[in-house]
Parts: sequence; C-alpha cells; structure tokens
Amino acid sequence: MAARGSCPGCGSAALVEDAHYAQQQLVCAACGCVLAEGLLTTTYTEEEHLREVAYSQSTGQKEQLSRCLQRGIRRVQDLCKVLQLPTVFEETAVSYFQRALQHASFHLVSLEKKELLGGCCIFVTCRQHNWPLTMGTICSLLYAKQELFASVYLSLQKELGLSVPALSLADLVKTHLNSFQLFRHTADIPAPFVEDKEKMVARTMQIVELASETWLVTGRHPVPIITAAAFLSWQSLQPAARLTCTFTRFCKLAGVDLPPPAHLRLKELLEILLRMASKLSWLRVFNMDKKTVVKHIGDLLQHRIFLLKNAFCLEDEEQRATALSEGSPGSPPAAGGAAQEKGCPSEGKRQREGSPRPLLPPCLINPRKRLRTAALSASDSAITGDEPISDSEIEQYLRGPEEIRAFRKAKAWQ
Amino acid sequence: FKDDLSASPQLFTPMSPYGVDLPIQTTEDVLFGSQFNQPKELPTDFSSVDLSFLPDITQDNKEQNLSEDGHEMQKELDGSISRNKDSGIFMDESSLCCPDATQPSPEASGVCPPVTPMTPMTPVTPASESSGIVPQLQNIVSTVNLACKLDLKNIALHARNAEYNPKRFAAVIMRIREPRTTALIFSSGKMVCTGAKSEEQSRLAARKYARVVQKLGFPAKFLDFKIQNMVGSCDVRFPIRLEGLVLTHQQFSSYEPELFPGLIYRMVKPRIVLLIFVSGKVVLTGAKERSEIYEAFENIYPILKGFKKAL
Repeated sequence: MAARGSCPGCGSAALVEDAHYAQQQLVCAACGCVLAEGLLTTTYTEEEHLREVAYSQSTGQKEQLSRCLQRGIRRVQDLCKVLQLPTVFEETAVSYFQRALQHASFHLVSLEKKELLGGCCIFVTCRQHNWPLTMGTICSLLYAKQELFASVYLSLQKELGLSVPALSLADLVKTHLNSFQLFRHTADIPAPFVEDKEKMVARTMQIVELASETWLVTGRHPVPIITAAAFLSWQSLQPAARLTCTFTRFCKLAGVDLPPPAHLRLKELLEILLRMASKLSWLRVFNMDKKTVVKHIGDLLQHRIFLLKNAFCLEDEEQRATALSEGSPGSPPAAGGAAQEKGCPSEGKRQREGSPRPLLPPCLINPRKRLRTAALSASDSAITGDEPISDSEIEQYLRGPEEIRAFRKAKAWQ
Repeated sequence: FKDDLSASPQLFTPMSPYGVDLPIQTTEDVLFGSQFNQPKELPTDFSSVDLSFLPDITQDNKEQNLSEDGHEMQKELDGSISRNKDSGIFMDESSLCCPDATQPSPEASGVCPPVTPMTPMTPVTPASESSGIVPQLQNIVSTVNLACKLDLKNIALHARNAEYNPKRFAAVIMRIREPRTTALIFSSGKMVCTGAKSEEQSRLAARKYARVVQKLGFPAKFLDFKIQNMVGSCDVRFPIRLEGLVLTHQQFSSYEPELFPGLIYRMVKPRIVLLIFVSGKVVLTGAKERSEIYEAFENIYPILKGFKKAL
C-alpha cells in the first residue's frame, strides 16, 4: 500500500507500508529508508519523521471490528439465544451479517436497518436449514415494520446472492401449534377444551394439506391458514363440546393471535369441506351447513382423494369453466351426482348446488370486477411519435393572465 | 397492427389477396413470439411427422389455440399444396415446414404482411411452439433532456396541468390528456415521462411536454430521448403452483407469500423480472425494448405450461 509523503533521504514519493518481523514500518521503495516504525507507545517524539502510529496499525492488525459491527453481532447472538437456535445457526448468521455489512449497499444504512439486517441474517439461516421461522416472528422480536423488513430482506438476498428455500408448511404447523396453550389442563381452560397434541397436529396437518391441494395456500400468508386449520381440527376432535366455541374465543384460550385473514381462510376451508361432504354417500341425505360439517371432518379427510376428484372437476377445468360461463343451462355437467339447480346460476363460474366446480384458486373463482384497460386501439397504434403538435393543443394547458392573477391571489392566502 | 391482434376476436384476418385460408395469425404470433428464423431440423414433409406431442385443442380462449389451430391449418394446407401452386407463400418449402412459418416474406413475393421494425426476432429453441399470447404493454418510462435550467415555481404558476410541492418532491408533476401520461420535470432540465402504452406514444408525449415548457418561455430542446423501462402484462389462463415453480427454478425465483402473493422470477436472458401470480397473470418489467418482453414471455410460457400438466 502506498502512503502519502515523500522520503527525506531521496525525495521519492514511493512510500510503502511494510512489515519487518511483524513490526509495521513505513519504508521508501526507492532507497530503503525507514521513515516510521510501529511503536508500542503513541507519543509526540522529538524526531520529526517519527509519526504517531495507532495501536491497531502497529500490531499489523488492519482489521478492527467497528463498534457497530460488534453491537450487531452481539444482537444476532442474543436473538439466536432467544429463539433457542442451535449454535451452528448462530455462527452462520454472524458470518452472513459480517459479509453483509461490508457490502457497499449496507455499509451506510441507518442503524435501524442494520438491526433489521441482523434479523434478516438469522431468518435466512433458519430458512436454509428448513427451520420454520416466519417473518412475523422476527419482526415482532425486532419491533420492526414489516415493509422495512421486507425491503432489507430482499436486498440482502440480492446482494449476497443467497438462495433461500421455500418455507416448509408442515414444519410451520408443528412450530405454530407448539405455542397453543390447549394441551395441558389449566385453570382458565374448561376441561373439554383440552386436546391431545399429537392428534391435533396430525389433523391440522391433513387440513393444511387439503387447503394446499385446493389452491387456498398459494400466494397467501401461511399463518392464518394454519390457525384456521387448527381451529377446525380442534373442533372436529370433540364436536359436541366445542361447536359452540367461536374462532375468536378459541384463539384467546389458546393464547395465540388471531390474524385478520384467518376468518376468510376458515370460510374458504368450510366451503371446500361442504362441497366434499355433498359427495359422500352417507352424508348426502343430511343438509350440511357450516356447523354440522365439522362433525364429519374426520370422515372427509379419510376419503379426501376420492371426494376431491368428485366434488371438483380436476381435469378440463377451463373447459368446464367456459361451459359454465357461457351459461348453457340445458347441459348439466357430466360428473357429479344429483344436479339439483337451486336457483338460477349467476354469471361467471358460479357454482350450482351439487354440480362440480372447477378446482381453481379463489381469485379466479370470484374475480374482483376490475377496470380492464382496453387494448390499444387502431388509431393509437398508428402513432409514430413524430406527429406535428398543434399550438392550440399546447395552449389548453397554459393559464391565461387573469387566471394567473386569480391564482396568485389565491395562493397568497396559503 | 400487432396490438390489433390482442383486441380482435377473429381468428384469421383476411389480409391475403390470394383468398387462401393462410395461417396469417400464426405468422403474426411468431413475429411477436420471436420464433426461430431458419428451421433447420424440422422435416419438410408434415404428413409423416408424428404430431401427437401437440396438446389437445380445448374450447378455451382462442388466442391460446392460435398456434394449435395454425398446426391444423398447416396439415390441411399440406394436402392442398400440390394443387395450389399459384399461392406465393408456399413456394418456399423450407418456410413451410416450420409450423409457425415466420419469414416467407423475403423469399415469397412480398405476400406476407410487412415485418414491423419494432420486433427484432431472436432465435429460440426449436422444440417450443409459440404460445399465441401476446403480452400487452402497460407502461413505458422514458427520459429526455430539455437542456436548459427551469424555474419550477414559474412553471407551476403558468401551467394549468402542473403541480409543484417543493417540500414533498423537488420536481413539477405535469400531466397531459393525450397521450394520457405524467411527467416529472426537474429544475436541471431533465424530464421523466411515464404512463404511455407504447414507445411512440411516450415519445409524442415527451415532445408535447417539451412544447409546453417552450411555450412557457424556456429554450427547451429535445435531447437524448431514451426509453428506460417497459412494463407488460398478460394472462396464461391457467392457475400456477408457485410453490412448485420455486422448487424447480430456485436460482431464479423468489416466492415469499408472507411478503408478496406473487413469485418474482429474475430471468437472466433477457434480463427481465417477471411477477407470476397464482391466477396465471404475469407481469414483465425491466425491459428496454419491446422484444425483450416478448422473448421473456416466450421463455417462461413453456415452464409455466409444464406446471399446468403436473397438477
């Protein structure tokens, strides 16, 4: 490394910092004159060429962990302890953090972001080891805003080129259910509400898999789905005692947050289950509704493969959809049982009672009416970009003198 | 006329003077779909080729079936080729064999519709067929240098369509009705124009903004007009298992349902970012040229289609 200044012996500017037996020296590359050496003490000495050399430089240690980095590493280690992660995770997270902080894009960000960066590194480490940690958990531990966390996470992923595997829903189910307080008898939980953990985990897993097969999971937050599935599985394990308990009450008893989308997920899950129930031969006689279907969830899950095939047309979904949307009332769908048309079918892909509906994500089943921007018309596409621009067209955008006066007067009040 | 394609419901626009039912639509598809120029390995005689790999033609969106119908037409035409010698298109055997015959125009006597200069073709692996879907451009962002210092307060005072809030943002926000766009005009004389639906519209709009600034008394020029970003969108018409896609294309995809419902696919060549949603809608962005969007979509379509079958 070249240093500033000129050699007092020969006057050349080629000064190099070099180590002699691990003692740093400032040497002239031309004549070999030693300008300065690492000192054990920092003093203003009498010799004008002896410069004050900092301790870190004199011992040859070019790197010194900055205070910010030290603090960040400590934070990462503390978070790992709070989350009870294995030591391997801690080391990996710390190494990611160090790498990230050295990166140009993270070196100068705000302290708030640097703290989030530590959380992101832990999050990435957990995901790479398939440890089910959600962003929500990390954000709540860091008291961070989710949008800020999201932006830091995405830029971290891009800058360090990390490949982060997808969140494993199965593991997340187990971890999330761990936090439910329903598996032991306590004073504030009525006796019939306590449930065996293994049974509940198994059934919740099955319901989540069912949701995943029926397009309820893709693109949605995973935790509300798991909460809704847990509620359904808990109710179905002892329906007699638990049907009267509401979703909100269940979450309060379990000591778990009820995220807002969970109600919608519950509704969608029940709709799927009702459709399946309509295909189960010994249930067809009953008039199923949202409450009663819960009693039979066990059976429905047992035969879910068969029921899914019959309740929804898995193949030729779009053919069915187009047929339905074209509104052919005279041709009832081929598969499926009693096609009792309860009321007239509404427009689009609306389901008729008893007739199979295509297995599509809810956003396609209930499309929100959106203003579709029309495709470029013929006149638009004939534009070359070099057309003459008329003066009148431009003048419509300019203010007249009276208008300016009025505007000035109005603005004066502001 | 390429945008007509997405708007028109008919399958075959009668453009040929020869009166033969030509697969003109497939030709247009290919122009956008950036199909192969020189079919090398395909056999010249279609009757002996096993076409069972082609997907079944379903009743759904005709746009999707354009290429498939094109194949059908090609088979029919094969039969009639020996009889129909006067049709200029079929003079060239090599152009016939590729199912989406793209360039008979240079060889044949100018029968095919003119190739617009806006769609440079890039060769693609011969095994893929054109998707028949054309991404629609939704937004073009361009910049231009007016090359003179501007007094933003003055502009905001004298122009009706301008808003200027220096505490919020250091530029004048100006809008015009035709083409419906928005411009950010900075005091340095640089301007950003957004909201246009085509490159020409963006250029015309930028010129109009420059004219407004000129009429306000500034010696505005029109230098270094450059398209900075183009955004397109389209619909593949079938739901997509994003969890599966992120597993098989991990190095390109980022799917975080906690953050965003769509999958972010960073394509390397061309360098385009695609947002893929479970409904089958795809947004393509990051392009500097229209062809990059079309090419990116043609690259992603077979991947997405692969997921449809695996359901």
